[in-house]
Amino acid sequence: MTRGPVALITGATSGFGLETAKLLAGKGFQVYAGFRSPQKLGALKELEKNLPLKSLYLDVAKPASVTKAVASILKKEKRIDLLVNNAGFVVAGFLEDLSCQDLKDQFDTNVVGLLRVTRAVAPAMRERRKGLIINMGSISGRVVFPGIAAYAASKFAVRSLTEGLRQELAPFGVGVCEIAPGSFATQVVSSTRFGQGVRSQDSPYRPYIAAVEKRVAASFKYAAPASVVAKLILRIAQGPAPKPVYIAGTDAKIMDFLKWLLPDAWLEFLFMGFFRWSRFPRRE
Amino acid sequence: MENLSVALVTGCSTGIGLETSLLLAQRGYRVFATMRDLRKAGTLRQRAKGLPLEILALDVDKPAAAAQVAASILKKAGRIDILVNNAGWGSFGALEEFTDDEIMAQYETNVFGLMRVTKAVLPAMRAQRSGRILHIGSLAGKMTFAGIGLYCSSKYAVEALTEGLRMELRPFNIETAVVEPGSIRTPFKANRRKSRIFSQGKSAHQKVLANILHFGNNPSPLAPGPAQVAKVVLSALSSGRMAVRYSVGLDAFWFPILRWFLPDFAYDFLLKRMYRRFTGGAL
Repeated sequence: MTRGPVALITGATSGFGLETAKLLAGKGFQVYAGFRSPQKLGALKELEKNLPLKSLYLDVAKPASVTKAVASILKKEKRIDLLVNNAGFVVAGFLEDLSCQDLKDQFDTNVVGLLRVTRAVAPAMRERRKGLIINMGSISGRVVFPGIAAYAASKFAVRSLTEGLRQELAPFGVGVCEIAPGSFATQVVSSTRFGQGVRSQDSPYRPYIAAVEKRVAASFKYAAPASVVAKLILRIAQGPAPKPVYIAGTDAKIMDFLKWLLPDAWLEFLFMGFFRWSRFPRRE
Repeated sequence: MENLSVALVTGCSTGIGLETSLLLAQRGYRVFATMRDLRKAGTLRQRAKGLPLEILALDVDKPAAAAQVAASILKKAGRIDILVNNAGWGSFGALEEFTDDEIMAQYETNVFGLMRVTKAVLPAMRAQRSGRILHIGSLAGKMTFAGIGLYCSSKYAVEALTEGLRMELRPFNIETAVVEPGSIRTPFKANRRKSRIFSQGKSAHQKVLANILHFGNNPSPLAPGPAQVAKVVLSALSSGRMAVRYSVGLDAFWFPILRWFLPDFAYDFLLKRMYRRFTGGAL
């Protein structure tokens, strides 16, 4: 019996991760779905019943869990063909309202976590001179929205890491690419963590927080389903050499185009109006 | 006329920080030049004789240090008008081979440290309803080069923080911008920290990394020096309204333009070609 390609997906309890795990398993991939909190395992356990899918504990912020999970896959399957670095979350709040720990936690999961899993998986891929790593970036990795700039910083870093890994692993036959989605119907909003000072009465940004929240809610109103990104991942995994970047979602495509087209100051002006920033201070 | 603006510059023991703090002081700014290790203050102290420049110790990696320095400046000068976030360093190695500690150390200074100092001066700037914050970013914040990928990712993050702070601080009349030098003749390369695995000669990318290092250690003699960066900082600070980014050097000017009009696949092709030069049949 020939077994399908082996895929490891991090952060697979909901959203892009869950949809991707479901779709790939349905197409014959041997899917290993990484999860952090056992309480959220419901949907994965259901899928495990009749698909070639196995959930395993992999918290990207816990180094030991990463090495253990990857070692157990390699022991059983002898290979990993596809790694989807999907685990991530959003720390929201104006930068001054965030504690240094908030910023660190954001990077620890979204950036260092991605490198941890990659570090564990890449040697096996290099050895076989075959493999594909898909990093989940974001439109926030190209365009910065006020109020989630810490998240943007982490996704900017992911964009850079993808570019770097792509060059460094290409001679070994390992492909690396980034998917940069816009707003999709995932758990990203409900799993968002607010920074230390955001809810404080003394936050100097109180008048602006509401405007940002309204904007975020509006952007998810017409969000496409997460399965769109899952299909994209399947297409990349089954296709020839991956492109460097895939922008997913109409909103993301428009933003990316505007960022490319407009001078920095114009885009900024557009955003400030977009977020209904209260009166701009006049220069003295 | 005397310029009474108070400026805080980090990372002033060498290179861009040293030149910037001196130039600002020469132009009449009251400068507080900080560095991690005061034993390295010799050059600056000597060149700053007679200038309105004071040297303070500040390790941006230390949680409470920035707030203490900001408080002491406010006590002495009553205000802080300008912050130049310059302190930073670069790591060298393959991305898949850095340990967690090495990765965190890189972000600790270049990203978290930068935010620590920024957060420390913001209350004063908001109270004044004026202020300018300049980050020293890099061409590496716009393009990623193999071998220095981790450093690049920290500078990408600085780009994001600049754009975010710019919009978030606008209502308080505080401006933010980023200066992006390309290859500069500074002691930056001497301060580069190599990944442990590469230093031990055990990297899976050993030969390639060695080639890249060799290439990087011989920068073009045409590359601008740190004094040129200082000039750009000064001109940004004295402009009516700061632009988002200022490039320094020909490479920092042209590469992003190339990146802008080349489609992804062509740019990717170029990068990989460049990289192949370093592999030299080693793989």
